[in-house]
Amino acid sequence: MPLSLQLLAGVDFHTLPQQVVNGIMLGAIYALIALGYTMVYGVLKLINFAHGEVYMLGAYVALFASWRLGFTPEATRGTNLQSSAFNLVILLLASMAICALIGVIIERFAYRPMRQHARIASLITAIGVSMFLQFGGALVLPISPEPNVSGEINPYKGTYQASLTPSPTALVRQRDAAKQPYEAAQKTFDEYIAATHEDRFNLSPKGIEARDLAQQAERTYKDLESKVESAGVSVIVPKGQLVMLVTAVFLMLLLRHLVMRTRAGRAMRAVSHDFDSAALMGVNVNRIVVLTFVLGSSMAGAGAMMTATFLGTPLTTFYGMEAGVKAFTAAVLGGIGNIPGAVLGGLLMGVVEEMVVWAGYSSYRDAIAFVVLILVLLFRPGGLLGSATMEKI
Amino acid sequence: MKFVLGRLLSIAAALGLCFAIDVFAHSQNDYTQRLVALAGLYVTLSVSLNLINGITGQFSIGHAAFYQVGAYCGGFLSVRFYDGSPVHGLLWLLVMMAAGAAAAAGAGLVVGLPSLRLRGDYLAIVTMGFGEIIRIIVQNVDAFGGPYGMNVQPKFLHIWLIWLLAVSCIAVCRNLVSSAHGLQFLAVREDEIAAGAMGVNVTRVKVTAFMLGSAFAGAAGALLAHFEGFITPATFAMDVSFIILTMVVLGGSGSITGSVISAAFLSYLPEYLRGLKGPEGGTLAVTGASVAAALFATIIAAGIIRRLLDQARGTPRSRALGVAGIVGATLIGKIVIQWGLLFIPYLRELKIEAGQLRMVIFAVTLIIVMLLRPQGMLAHHELSWAFIGKILGIKAPAKAVTPA
Repeated sequence: MPLSLQLLAGVDFHTLPQQVVNGIMLGAIYALIALGYTMVYGVLKLINFAHGEVYMLGAYVALFASWRLGFTPEATRGTNLQSSAFNLVILLLASMAICALIGVIIERFAYRPMRQHARIASLITAIGVSMFLQFGGALVLPISPEPNVSGEINPYKGTYQASLTPSPTALVRQRDAAKQPYEAAQKTFDEYIAATHEDRFNLSPKGIEARDLAQQAERTYKDLESKVESAGVSVIVPKGQLVMLVTAVFLMLLLRHLVMRTRAGRAMRAVSHDFDSAALMGVNVNRIVVLTFVLGSSMAGAGAMMTATFLGTPLTTFYGMEAGVKAFTAAVLGGIGNIPGAVLGGLLMGVVEEMVVWAGYSSYRDAIAFVVLILVLLFRPGGLLGSATMEKI
Repeated sequence: MKFVLGRLLSIAAALGLCFAIDVFAHSQNDYTQRLVALAGLYVTLSVSLNLINGITGQFSIGHAAFYQVGAYCGGFLSVRFYDGSPVHGLLWLLVMMAAGAAAAAGAGLVVGLPSLRLRGDYLAIVTMGFGEIIRIIVQNVDAFGGPYGMNVQPKFLHIWLIWLLAVSCIAVCRNLVSSAHGLQFLAVREDEIAAGAMGVNVTRVKVTAFMLGSAFAGAAGALLAHFEGFITPATFAMDVSFIILTMVVLGGSGSITGSVISAAFLSYLPEYLRGLKGPEGGTLAVTGASVAAALFATIIAAGIIRRLLDQARGTPRSRALGVAGIVGATLIGKIVIQWGLLFIPYLRELKIEAGQLRMVIFAVTLIIVMLLRPQGMLAHHELSWAFIGKILGIKAPAKAVTPA
């Protein structure tokens, strides 16, 4: 087999649109985190290594807030808890607020004293802060068994399905024809059980006969159904993830408004353009830096709350490392210091990652971010939307 | 004649030191033996990283990757080709070291090439990226045992060889710095453009530094594989790179002796903490609240002291008083924080053993060094007799100037 065919062997083009959509969902979160990297780099020319850890802490804040609201593991195991959008808003605000606070504290005590030193010194401090939060957090935060925000807190259950190309009508008709006998056999069996009160796992010969009939009908129907599914191309999106996407877009628009339309935003752009001149022009540079950290960290907090709630990933204190690296890559890919670039880069990174998984190389999904990063830095250091100026010497 | 004699004497002294360490280690229990061996490996690693970071002024934070390349190269070849005759054991180990060094140097070449286009923080990220890519690739290769690791069959417990590698790494770096070639490295560190203008081949210097540094790390890796007898990708995770970086930063970038001292110190410190005994005789454990409070207070105090030192004017006495005041205030602050944290039942119940603090100590060391003394313990200086004399205020005897 030629290599090209071999590489494509595990690829199923019917799932491609679904993967692209998944990638965009993931990419929206990367974009939110990337905004923090890009804004801090724009203003301070510092790679905020600890940003991924701020994101991690945001997820923990969401976890604790959800416990506070009554969604503890014990409570969700037994009873049926009812949740509402209000709970989600509380979680979001709590994560954003605490993350903003953490970001400001890190800036104040770790980065500000280093500002007059060489940039490498700031980077080493940032690495230290990142390690400190990872390993120090592992001491005091619950890590084992890995907790996760209970899915019960998400009131948006269910999925939306959109079919892009319909399945062949003949197949659909076959499936519909098989549906009725399947339901009938199922019903007969259920009625039989209800009438005789037999144990489902210890049936009499007559019961076994009914069960086999029901199972056969079910198998025929399911086979046809999966054939219909794989013949047509459709996209399934959980409602919760749609909420996530909408919130992310809303936050990005809000940020854009803040940066482009307000006085503080203008000051921020001025500082980003030229730190010293902005200070000479009467901009309170320290306040702008704090504002940058507030905005960037709260975006990371929002992203963390949403991944923790809607994707339900188990939390460890290393939760932010992969996401941080991918988001940083996204920021560089879009052109670091450039806000629309960060969004574009985030979406691209999400899609690229899902493409790698789609192509059957899921064990390399964490390496792809670094590969993209190295390629971008070597061949287009300015990123996609950034200016192509090399670092001044 | 005097020069040759001096060299011979120092070589003999180095060999003697290595064997003395070996004899000492073998008289102790297994745990201490392993500790001494790992300290030797960390000395090699940090001195070789210092060659890249401190002496040449590049910034690599992916040193564990070269360590890993060497370890897997040596381990894999041993598993495949070693015929088991004990006579050739030492010779085989030396060959494996060379193979590991060569493989790591190759990897160093690949990582060194981007350093021609990138500098500073971007280079740092790229070296980290290369490190992770190598780790993930190794994790996915079945011949290397994937994520479960690999048994390396012939085990060697030559602690003297590990320390001999460390000593030769120190010797190479020291002699390099005092040679004309080494001056080129220093020139690139100080100013790349000016060095280039003066006729230094910047490309060659940078790539050489990366290759030489990674070759030593690779040799150390091959030794580790044969010493431990078992390696997994997790042995070379990103935190190992950060540990090595912490050692270099604490010792002072560019100072070989600084790297050696801090590598030895930082290898020993976590083990010392692990051995601490609590009042009841068991391992020492403290509540989460007090650990958290102490960590925060330490970092905040360091930040404030830094600020104070930056701004302080006046006599040394008033400065000292100021620092003392800050330390006192921080202690009070720590008690208040701890008191506050005690209201969180979870933190009050949580028991943390001193041994778990290992990586946290590295992280806090890194932050505090950067806040208080970004140039590291010894900065660019070496701990030589002349330097000690200078610190103690003793002037080195002036050399007689012979009239021309």
